[in-house]
Amino acid sequence: MSAIGLLAKENEDREHLATMLGELGHRVEGAARLEEALETARERRPRAFLLVDGPACDAETMTRELLRAFPLLPVVVALKTRDARRAVELMRAGAAEVVAPPWTPEDLKACVAKGLRFQGTSISISGAAPLSRSPVWFALAAAVFLAAGLGVASKRRVDEAARAAAARVDQWQLPVRHPAGLAFDGKAVWLVEWFTQSFYALDTGDPSIKIVRHLTAETPVAAAFTGEAVWTVSADGGVTRRMRDERLTPLARYPRAAPSSAGLAFDGLYLWTLDARAKVLRKHLVDRELSVLAVYKWRGTKPAGIVFDGKTLWTLDAGDRRLLRHSLERPEDPIDSLPLPEYAAGDRVPSGLAWDGTRFWTVAASRDERSPATLIRHAEEPPR
Amino acid sequence: MTHLATTLPALLRFPGGAARQDSWGRLIKVTAGGARLCTGSRLTKGETVLVGFELGGESLLIPGRVHDAFPDDDGQTVAELRWSDMVERKRLARALLDVLARS
Repeated sequence: MSAIGLLAKENEDREHLATMLGELGHRVEGAARLEEALETARERRPRAFLLVDGPACDAETMTRELLRAFPLLPVVVALKTRDARRAVELMRAGAAEVVAPPWTPEDLKACVAKGLRFQGTSISISGAAPLSRSPVWFALAAAVFLAAGLGVASKRRVDEAARAAAARVDQWQLPVRHPAGLAFDGKAVWLVEWFTQSFYALDTGDPSIKIVRHLTAETPVAAAFTGEAVWTVSADGGVTRRMRDERLTPLARYPRAAPSSAGLAFDGLYLWTLDARAKVLRKHLVDRELSVLAVYKWRGTKPAGIVFDGKTLWTLDAGDRRLLRHSLERPEDPIDSLPLPEYAAGDRVPSGLAWDGTRFWTVAASRDERSPATLIRHAEEPPR
Repeated sequence: MTHLATTLPALLRFPGGAARQDSWGRLIKVTAGGARLCTGSRLTKGETVLVGFELGGESLLIPGRVHDAFPDDDGQTVAELRWSDMVERKRLARALLDVLARS
């Protein structure tokens, strides 16, 4: 049983928490004011404090004051309204744990136990007397040590395998020669091929071709998938929003909305297009005309693709063989750059970019356009 | 390995689709590749959580994927996180280097 100092301005809170702590087997020293709590603590020496944060009692100040007087005692704060930022502020101020409302015996028990375990230093003048150990104990200890050693070795092997897998770069030759773009639909990587006017869905494992879709009326150059639609761009700059069905049925067409397109990406609210000739990023509102809301200078050499990773935009610079990262607020100033050493030889020209949630994928045509195109799955963390 | 004097408080946010309230916890181990988090919130293997914390004067908000989660002896959840954002990972690595160099 541990003595817990309880500081709560309101009588109702104090009684409620005292009852719960009592049921958990703690002796409670309640107080309504800081001075009273400090006085009681000097006399009764509790092992922890529990404070109630509220308008009438600023727990941050109280925590600092209590810790100033009793620096080794853990302070647990009970919030009256759930506020994660406030909880983090209180922990930064020194609170060992913060209990969220509604206060339950389970939460209170977990937080008080955690506070008692993690905070404070145990001080003792003499160590405990050594225990006599039987041969069985030593045999068991040796067995545990051996098992732990094997476990550590096994875990290291697993970790090394995971690290090797993350660093691995996979490359495959594709049965096409004129790739124009790449997109990821959540399951498969979609290759856009302008020469055959086709989309190829590639398995992310081998990657064999699973589905082929021909768009005989247009020459596709880029695509992007959203939750319910797929956006495509044709060579004449026309953007088409399509259903994600077997025939990629067109839903809406936006003529010349994305001229000289090197790619497009959807950030959940706006559609972004990358103009290869003008070297600009355009931010479109998804309305009837796909209105351009803003145009940003793209500071690279040769734009070849764009993708949204859930937080920021990435563009593919085929000239400097690198990826540029852009914030949604100021996309004209790249915030990071990742080189693509796979293209260092210069015999391939990257032309499409996709992101599968953990890795980048790029597709490249051979410089002479006579050899097959190459699909590359890049390392989880590209070398810099 | 260097141990800090206290454990790092962390703000936990969940992606929009999860429709969960922000929460909090403590990072009991931090590396450039991931972290071990102790929290009162229920976390499940495979889910993504945005972890906000301060290290060496640097404010970080890093998305992490729950690699493993299990209840500890106190009834809280201990989660092994793997950072999934390369740029933030590099910022964290720099902050860790800075802290280790000074300790």
